Amino acid sequence: MSDILAQLGAFWADLPLIVRIIAGILVIVVPLLIGMALLTYFERKVMAAMQLRQGPNLVGPFGLLQPFADGLKLLSKETVVPVQANAGVFFAAPMLTFLLALVAWAVIPFGEGLVLADINVGVLYLFAISSLGVYGIIMAGWASNSKYAFLGGLRAAAQMVSYEVSIGLVIITVLLCVGSLNLSKIVEAQKTVWFFIPLFPMFIIFFISALAETNRAPFDLPEGESELSGGFNVEYSSMTFALFFLGEYINMILMSAMTVILFLGGWLPPLDIAPLNWIPGPLWFIAKITFVLFCFIWVRATLPRYRYDQLMRLGWKVFLPFSLIWVVLTSGVLVYFDLLP
Amino acid sequence: MTLTTIAFYAFAIVLLASAVRVITAKNPVHSVLFLILAFFNAAGLFVLIGAEFVAMILVIVYVGAVAVLFLFVVMMLDINFQELRQGFMQYMPVGLVVGAILAVELVFLAVTQLAGGPVGGQANNAPIPPVDQVTNTEAIGQILYTDYVYAFQVSGLILLVAMIGAIVLTLRSRPGVRRQQIGQQLDRKRAEVVQVRKVPTRGGV
Amino acid sequence: MATLPDLAPALPEIFLACASMALLMIGVFRGDGSLRLVSWLTVASFIVTGFLLLQGPEGRAVTFNGLFVADSFGTFAKLLILIASSLAVILSVNYLEKERVARFEYPVLIALATLGMLAMVSANDLISLYVGLELQSLALYVIASFKRDVAKSTEAGLKYFVLGALSSGLLLYGASLVYGFAGTTSFDKLATVLAGAEGAPSVGVVIGMVFVAAGLAFKISAVPFHMWTPDVYEGAPTSVTAFFAVAPKVAAITLFIRVLVGPFGDLAVQWQQVIQFCAAASMIIGALGAIQQKNIKRLMAYSSIGHIGYALVGLSAGSVEGVRGVLIYMAIYLAMNVGVFAIILSMRQSGRAVEEIADLGGLSKTHPMLAFAMAVFMWSLAGVPPAAGFWGKWAVFLPAIQAGLYPLAIVGVIASGISCFYYLRVIKAMYFDDVTEPLDRPTPTAGFVVAGAALFVFPVYIFFLSPITSGAAAAAAALFGAR
Repeated sequence: MSDILAQLGAFWADLPLIVRIIAGILVIVVPLLIGMALLTYFERKVMAAMQLRQGPNLVGPFGLLQPFADGLKLLSKETVVPVQANAGVFFAAPMLTFLLALVAWAVIPFGEGLVLADINVGVLYLFAISSLGVYGIIMAGWASNSKYAFLGGLRAAAQMVSYEVSIGLVIITVLLCVGSLNLSKIVEAQKTVWFFIPLFPMFIIFFISALAETNRAPFDLPEGESELSGGFNVEYSSMTFALFFLGEYINMILMSAMTVILFLGGWLPPLDIAPLNWIPGPLWFIAKITFVLFCFIWVRATLPRYRYDQLMRLGWKVFLPFSLIWVVLTSGVLVYFDLLP
Repeated sequence: MTLTTIAFYAFAIVLLASAVRVITAKNPVHSVLFLILAFFNAAGLFVLIGAEFVAMILVIVYVGAVAVLFLFVVMMLDINFQELRQGFMQYMPVGLVVGAILAVELVFLAVTQLAGGPVGGQANNAPIPPVDQVTNTEAIGQILYTDYVYAFQVSGLILLVAMIGAIVLTLRSRPGVRRQQIGQQLDRKRAEVVQVRKVPTRGGV
Repeated sequence: MATLPDLAPALPEIFLACASMALLMIGVFRGDGSLRLVSWLTVASFIVTGFLLLQGPEGRAVTFNGLFVADSFGTFAKLLILIASSLAVILSVNYLEKERVARFEYPVLIALATLGMLAMVSANDLISLYVGLELQSLALYVIASFKRDVAKSTEAGLKYFVLGALSSGLLLYGASLVYGFAGTTSFDKLATVLAGAEGAPSVGVVIGMVFVAAGLAFKISAVPFHMWTPDVYEGAPTSVTAFFAVAPKVAAITLFIRVLVGPFGDLAVQWQQVIQFCAAASMIIGALGAIQQKNIKRLMAYSSIGHIGYALVGLSAGSVEGVRGVLIYMAIYLAMNVGVFAIILSMRQSGRAVEEIADLGGLSKTHPMLAFAMAVFMWSLAGVPPAAGFWGKWAVFLPAIQAGLYPLAIVGVIASGISCFYYLRVIKAMYFDDVTEPLDRPTPTAGFVVAGAALFVFPVYIFFLSPITSGAAAAAAALFGAR
């Protein structure tokens, strides 16, 4: 067994760099897309269970093939381009959203050493990419030349910029405890204790901001169907819509992965003891992501949508001062007890 | 020709092309989008020279926040750009002269530096920490919070003044706006707002 | 653990920074109507800052990795700035309340601007020069448009902002050239690098220095960078104009002296020509421009351009005596301007603020004391002996003549002669014209300030002349001694 592995390893190292990179990308992207499809199924099933319904159950065993059927349906539909739309930007927007959702995964460590690009500023890279996500939405809103779409786009821009501030401060707090911006090092720093225990309030703020950043309920104002009849993507159909849909769900998984890396110990088992550390790291990572995704869905099924001014109030008047104070507090404690890494 | 060289030329060409499009695009929103593309490629160039921290900060601050607000404003404003453009040719000569002066000075500076410079040698020899030992996040932090802590703090005060200024000059408290009173909302007791009554059939309240 | 830098030399600035943030919090939590409280607390914190300044370390102290310097040259200028800022706040309170713009941010912004000025005066590096300058300028842009519902005030703020940004750009461009050619931004190192250079200094450094000087000349409104002054003085609320006329001028000219004498001291031959030109042009434009003005604030704008010209005469001598002269000049200039603006601030007809020279008509009949004080100030501004203004001019012209700058001195005397004309026009309006509509009674605060300033300008200054002169001499000597 180990002989075969060693041979595989040697074969891998012999491959040209470009082939290795492409293979790495495929190994990440293909499971990710399948995972995204399963997530939509998971969401519908969980919501159905919470609302005492059945959920999808006809296509395939337990309705498992439902997402693929939905995908085929979207593919076979006609792409409608509004007459007044700005075609270039109109088509660039969904592609950008999808692309950004995928490129962020390059730095996510799935296990010890299992990362495509182990860069020094991994957290900043993730933060940068997630802050670019707003462009897809605002471009879509503007290029559609429709007032609902435009309002959705503007809401999204204001909302995402506002919540990025508190996300940034939360990340700073974590970085203070780690002393590195490298994602693998952040996970390794949690070997003794996962950060959600000492930094519990920051964990909550990060989770709520992640909801706002991905435009999920209860902060789904950019696409509030009851007021904006769908929001920024109201004019999109077929594959262009599918790309938005994909991007949004992959972003959800990404934000869950960030939560796991920053607060829930990444690929580490809860305790480093016998039965738990037999399970390989990537499985722990996926299990934790699934848990956070469950929370995303749970929140969606439970809470009503925020009003826009309340959303802004929460971001600027509650989270911002609170997380600022927490940054000062954390650094103070670290300096006073000489715990700085 | 290595991968890095290809990447450099790709970033540089896209950067220059999008910079040109920023000023030539007819639609202001397109201009801003090209500006964003230019920022992004500049960040790519930073990565190539090993300044990954600056690259990421460029993307986060300029692309992720500043340009979003630009886009926001440009989309909301109803500017007739044809009208604005009319003065363009008129001011062109002045602009060209200023540009030429700046270009000549830059070339002058570059040439003197390349030739060793009269006194400029020291800037070139400024100690740069080795990239493989100190990450550049750490290196910037070391300098910013020790050697230049004074400038850093005063910059903080400048930003404070900017905030005060924005509030002083624009905040107006409109009369008659009903605000949410969170405390009041949470303070409500069941007894104050709910009344349970037995309603007789066909009798009404 | 890295050790903290030595905070003692910067203690006054640190105190003022903390105080202004505390004042901001007090204002925010007490809401509108806390203008008076915050204003008086601001004045109190200025006084404490001044006290800390006097308690500061002896001699020259450099801290924050060479970015910050505290010496007796800086202390002298800082005291002048703190006095000017305190008086500006004291004079503003009543004005702001009457103009219905009583908001607590005003004194806080003045405190922050003052902090910026102190930082400018203490700059020992091109970087700290720039951040200090920006802190001061940004606060000034905001208070220039403090009456945000009045078109003229917002216009003043916008004009000042756009031109100020341009001048900051010039300054930064110059600073980058200096850094590129000299390889350092620190004043001390620049001085050694430039002193060590053999032969003619590098063209790049000279061009950079000229750009830096142009940026600073804008801040002191020296010709040819004076265009903004009349419009901003006229448009800004009068209390703000009173502040603009004094404290920022003192700060900027001190910084100007520090930059030219310190790092660029060895390029004196180059910058002296520039400064001589600026001085001569400012004196002439200041004198000629004021003649046609009907608005007293515009008149004071041109007057201040002219006065900056006289102050630059002292600097262009490039000697210890010259710098001493500039400091004395600025001290006297402070007293005269505060007095005049206290009077302008009390120019109200039935509650309405007026600012035409004609509105002063017959002031000698309605308010003889006020008219007499104004006459004393005008007399002094014109530089006619025995008022204080004359001694200021004497202190700057004498070194210029000693340095052989005869043409400049002659231009100065001619400009003084011309400027007498418009100062006397104000006196004529007060004493020989008829009353159009009597002015309201000035408030007691304004009255005190006017009386104090008038007494200082003549004759009390005679007793202060020797401490001011010796202080200025020590300050100038400290600046030259550090080189």
